[in-house]
Amino acid sequence: MYALEGVLLVDFGQYLAGPFGPMVIGDLGAEVIKVEPVTGDGMRLAGKPFFGCQRGKRGIAVDLKTPEGLEIALKLVSRADIVHHNMTAGVANKLGIGYEAAKSVNSDVVYCNTWAYGLEGPLARFGGLDPLYQAAAGLEHEAGAVHTGNPPLYYRFGMCDAANAMLSVVGCLAALYHQRRTGEGQELWTSLLDGGAVFSSDAVLANGEPLPRPRLDAGLHGIDACYRMYETQDGWIQIAAVQEREWIALCAALGVAELADDARFAVADLRRENRAVLETLLGERFLTRTSLSWTRALDDAGVPNEVPVDTHGGELVLFDADNERLGLVAEYEHPIMGTMRQFGELVGFSETPARVHGPPPLVGQHTREIMGWLGYTDEQTAALRDAGVITWPGDEYPWTI
Amino acid sequence: MTGALDGVRILDLSWGIAGPLGVLLLAEQGADVVKVEPPGGDPFRAYQGYAVWNRSRRSVTVDLKRTAGLDAFGRLIDEADVVVETFRPGVTDRLGIGFDALHARNPRLVYASCPAYPEGHRLAHRPGYDALVQASSGQQWEQPGWRMGPIFLHMPMPSMGAAFLLPSGILAALIAREETGRGQHVRTSLFQGALLYTTQIWQHVEKAPAAFHDLMGKSYPPGIHQQMLFEVEGGKWVHTSVMSGLTPTKSQDELLGLEEAPDPFTFMALPPEEREQFTVRRREAYQHHEREALVRAFQEHNHAVEAVITMEEALGAGGAPHPQLAANGMVVTVEDPELGTTTQIGVPINLHGTPGAIRGPQPLPGQHNTEIFGPLGYSAEEIAAFSTEVS
Repeated sequence: MYALEGVLLVDFGQYLAGPFGPMVIGDLGAEVIKVEPVTGDGMRLAGKPFFGCQRGKRGIAVDLKTPEGLEIALKLVSRADIVHHNMTAGVANKLGIGYEAAKSVNSDVVYCNTWAYGLEGPLARFGGLDPLYQAAAGLEHEAGAVHTGNPPLYYRFGMCDAANAMLSVVGCLAALYHQRRTGEGQELWTSLLDGGAVFSSDAVLANGEPLPRPRLDAGLHGIDACYRMYETQDGWIQIAAVQEREWIALCAALGVAELADDARFAVADLRRENRAVLETLLGERFLTRTSLSWTRALDDAGVPNEVPVDTHGGELVLFDADNERLGLVAEYEHPIMGTMRQFGELVGFSETPARVHGPPPLVGQHTREIMGWLGYTDEQTAALRDAGVITWPGDEYPWTI
Repeated sequence: MTGALDGVRILDLSWGIAGPLGVLLLAEQGADVVKVEPPGGDPFRAYQGYAVWNRSRRSVTVDLKRTAGLDAFGRLIDEADVVVETFRPGVTDRLGIGFDALHARNPRLVYASCPAYPEGHRLAHRPGYDALVQASSGQQWEQPGWRMGPIFLHMPMPSMGAAFLLPSGILAALIAREETGRGQHVRTSLFQGALLYTTQIWQHVEKAPAAFHDLMGKSYPPGIHQQMLFEVEGGKWVHTSVMSGLTPTKSQDELLGLEEAPDPFTFMALPPEEREQFTVRRREAYQHHEREALVRAFQEHNHAVEAVITMEEALGAGGAPHPQLAANGMVVTVEDPELGTTTQIGVPINLHGTPGAIRGPQPLPGQHNTEIFGPLGYSAEEIAAFSTEVS
């Protein structure tokens, strides 16, 4: 069995922060049904970001603004363990699938909303995209080293969406565990804003004043002379000479053993204080040899280091033999796009193995089988499609993915 | 206090970021967490963030290299639901606290491991600092900056990924245990945490057209979202958004004082050089606006925008905290035993039926030795013998 075998999650989310959590819960073994507008998820246009949040789900396309569509949605909700979405303020209630409506057909349901800003408050009515929260949580300020006069820098990973989604995974599973033990369901929420704040949770004020945090240099190499990347003769190397013996070994391996005895660098605090001069001294040495030559020398000396890898947009990771063997890569066939790969198992279990992932669904790919499962006859299902309440891929498929 | 995880007992052997922060998410939903530290305390205690990531738990000190310490740890295992460890693969087996040994002793135990790399991976015995995983996983190379080559990620992204995967896996195993009655070994790693954040950018798609890779592609200078950062008066910055989920009542250009600006659709249809010319004018216009006034004006007219601030400013350093962060209960005061009155982030997961809560500040090493080992029948002398440093 899978860890979450028998758990049904109904996913009304679109874009990223909504759908990604259900995908991860699906990877843990739950059955996930994606309920998509008959016009398609707004994120399909974006390609990769859409695929990145949808694998392994079954899809039904329903117009929730029709009474018949709402009835279908509530039948799904009545069978769900978890209902999950990222609609903006008031939308779910207006559609008739808010928490109260869900509870009225499923008294112990776990109901999760992943907001942009939050449930209540001055900005709660706003939706918003990941960059806003990278700004608000200080991520862009630190990433670009704005304190040095640089512009802010956006992290290309778009990870506030993922943080919101992952907080919702932890929240939903905590609520589901509680429900399994007590029979009580509940409503919960997370937000992009709070997800971003978790990434900066090392920020602390003591008596109202910021405690110092390590900061990047203007060249975006690292946060300490001994915890940064250096340019080599042919590329780069990242070092992490954190402990005293590693610092001494670093000096010896670089052929500047005398620096370990230099009063300016005698202890870690002094090395931080004299960071710029130390970085220049070490930087000169690193330029004299290649990255691979340095990594061997540093390994032999016991200095933690890695050569930053150019994975060619992830291709080298997704076709790496170790990653394939360990299940860290998932491969599946998409009806239009052919063979697809993405990361595989992010959490492994000794007794409840990872789920075999399927591709992201087409718009309404599983509409008919889900309608049958809900008790609709083939005739009813066909009539609802003719009426535009539901859809599935036919001779015409107006989407590219 | 009744949290969703009331009665779940967790032993936290973890160090660094991912383990303590992952456990925090469970602790503040009601789990009873005991941090098990070596005599002398967790070596990461001096690190920034430690006081936040290690709050809401009690602490005992145990020397696992001594028989008496190992015995005492075993007594804790008998009553635990979950143990969390972040050693390199193989270390716990050598200490006698590996999965096989502890599972045999307590079959209901969920044993969660989060090393830097998965067991069996060729990198598994490489050192596991976050920045090294940023390098080896390829994340540094993915981030564009203002120079070619890899960019150091100030935010410890692999650790911050694993910090979410760890509690997710633990909870899934606890839910499975309700069916099977048995615990199991749950494994993730910083490397897998790094993969988590590649979800929008790392996919192999056999028949994808070339344009498929453009939107989220790496570019110099950095691409799509970076272009929405604008410098305003006084060298400050804002990040604007094309989407707020609301209907704007004035356009952003009108609010900037660019009256004759094309609407967004006309703008997008302009030839690239005309678009560029207008973008220069727009960047110029931003610089004449005071940041807070601009943010207010944009928000009043239903445009989503944020000032680019530090997290310390978001918590209220030098002014009021971010109003929505405060409304979310995410700006909290914690009386810390070492730092005094502190402002930290709150509980980021909001369960209405069983609200989470901070259960206390970071504990001092061994602060709860007597409280926890006393009821197990250990005398003060015995506790001292396995919980203090051998000089």
